[in-house]
Amino acid sequence: MIGFLQNLADALSLGSLYALAALGVGLLFGILRLVNFAHGDFISIGAYALIVPSFEVTAQLFIGTWNWSLMIPAVTLIVVIVALISDALVFRPLRRANAPTLMIASFAVSYVIQNGILMVYGARPKAANLWSGLDAPILLGDLRIPLLQVVTIGVTLALMALLTLFLKRTPYGVMMRAAAEDFRMAQYLGVRGNFVIGLAFAISGILATAVSLLYLSQTGTLGPTMGVPLALFAFVATVIGGMGSLLGAVVGGFLVGFIVIMLQAYLPEDLRVFRDAFAFTFVILILLFRPSGIVPTRAFIERV
Amino acid sequence: MLAIDDIHVSYGRLRALKGISLTVAKGEIVCLIGPNGAGKSTTLAAVAGGVAATKGHIRLEGKDLAGTRPEAIARMGVSLVPEGRHVFGTLSVAENLRVGTYMRADRGAVAADIERVLAMFPRLRERIASPAGRLSGGEQQMLVIARALLTKPRLLLVDEPSLGLAPKIVDQVYEILLEARKQEGLTLLINEQSSHRILKHADRIYVIRNGHIQLAGAAADLADGEAIKRAYFGFGEAASSDANEEEDAA
Repeated sequence: MIGFLQNLADALSLGSLYALAALGVGLLFGILRLVNFAHGDFISIGAYALIVPSFEVTAQLFIGTWNWSLMIPAVTLIVVIVALISDALVFRPLRRANAPTLMIASFAVSYVIQNGILMVYGARPKAANLWSGLDAPILLGDLRIPLLQVVTIGVTLALMALLTLFLKRTPYGVMMRAAAEDFRMAQYLGVRGNFVIGLAFAISGILATAVSLLYLSQTGTLGPTMGVPLALFAFVATVIGGMGSLLGAVVGGFLVGFIVIMLQAYLPEDLRVFRDAFAFTFVILILLFRPSGIVPTRAFIERV
Repeated sequence: MLAIDDIHVSYGRLRALKGISLTVAKGEIVCLIGPNGAGKSTTLAAVAGGVAATKGHIRLEGKDLAGTRPEAIARMGVSLVPEGRHVFGTLSVAENLRVGTYMRADRGAVAADIERVLAMFPRLRERIASPAGRLSGGEQQMLVIARALLTKPRLLLVDEPSLGLAPKIVDQVYEILLEARKQEGLTLLINEQSSHRILKHADRIYVIRNGHIQLAGAAADLADGEAIKRAYFGFGEAASSDANEEEDAA
């Protein structure tokens, strides 16, 4: 029982990261029909922004040494700026392009960011120690839960609540939801298209930053493609959740986290190396039974 | 107020508008009549900035709208109610109504205006918290018109307000449009497929078919409907000139 609860905590914390990443992907998909493969690289940027540019193996923290109340806004700002620049330089000229073109453009953005990181920081993975105080476990009876997991889950829930409040209660949130549903109609009502898209990129950047900081504190390692697997699982999460539904993205994220951790825990040892293959089998099964995802939206079908 | 001068619009190889010219004076109700696919919707979309003209000019109070974004045109006081009831289905009725008010400079007046519009459409007040996607077709049509009125337009473009609605509801929709015109000095450009209802209300009428204006005149002069019928169905000389043109296009 303790073992299962331990695994459940792991699943919730990994699912949190996937859910946050999936929200960032889902937000842009909803408003722009962009499947943003560069989202993982936004996550990498957030981690690399903490350290001094160098080819050394041991990363020297720079912004990372600042007090968190200064460091988090600084890193967030850097990631948001990168996200906004990729919109301005790449996606804005492609406003009238179709979804596959946008997706391929996002591959290009991803490639440019990865190679930019290679040029400035080198190819070797780096060790970095962020927030080591969070390693301390919380004891609940026999259950030992790392503080970091609690923080991860807490931050995720808080960000989701904030995003929900923003989307439901503020004018810009209402404009974004309107634009996500019918972009042209929103424009006819005076909603500035480029502004809401920029806003979506900025929020996507904020969510990516949260993922990078939490992920880096968990793993303690930086690599030029560190965000890619996270983004890959986030895509899977948005697809099984239902493309275009933010609730679906969150549900999908937690579900994927749950599947991955439980496979890791309960698969026979010999099969554990094939964990991801089993995880994707689940994904295929889910899609066979619910082709439009767990929380289907009409938006996707209508647009295509 | 609005002057459209010889505009051409194509969707790929399909030429939707082949030189449309028309004018709308301040305070007028002008109606565009024509069969399905004649180019009526495209004309309105071109004015609202939704499609770009390959040739010709659209001027709003003398200002050329070429290259202006839809949202900028909306902010100049033009509101389009497109065909097919584009409600934001997952947004509540109240949120739908508010979307168009965010651009207004007189934010203080918005609450009172929403009240006024809800007084015109009591049905919408009953459904104010429901997702707009759950409304009936007639309610959705009322919602999109109410939403457009809340942008405080000076020129309202309405694409087929009667399409797919029961006659009683259509009458209601027209009543409200006429009332808004009386109260706020609204100028209206309306598309319809059929002329019998619009003839009563419109000041002037254009019949459009196959991307051309076939006939233009004061509604009073066309009241018997014969000229409209001929232009609409393309009997007589208009038909033969059309046939030539299609060969040219091919």
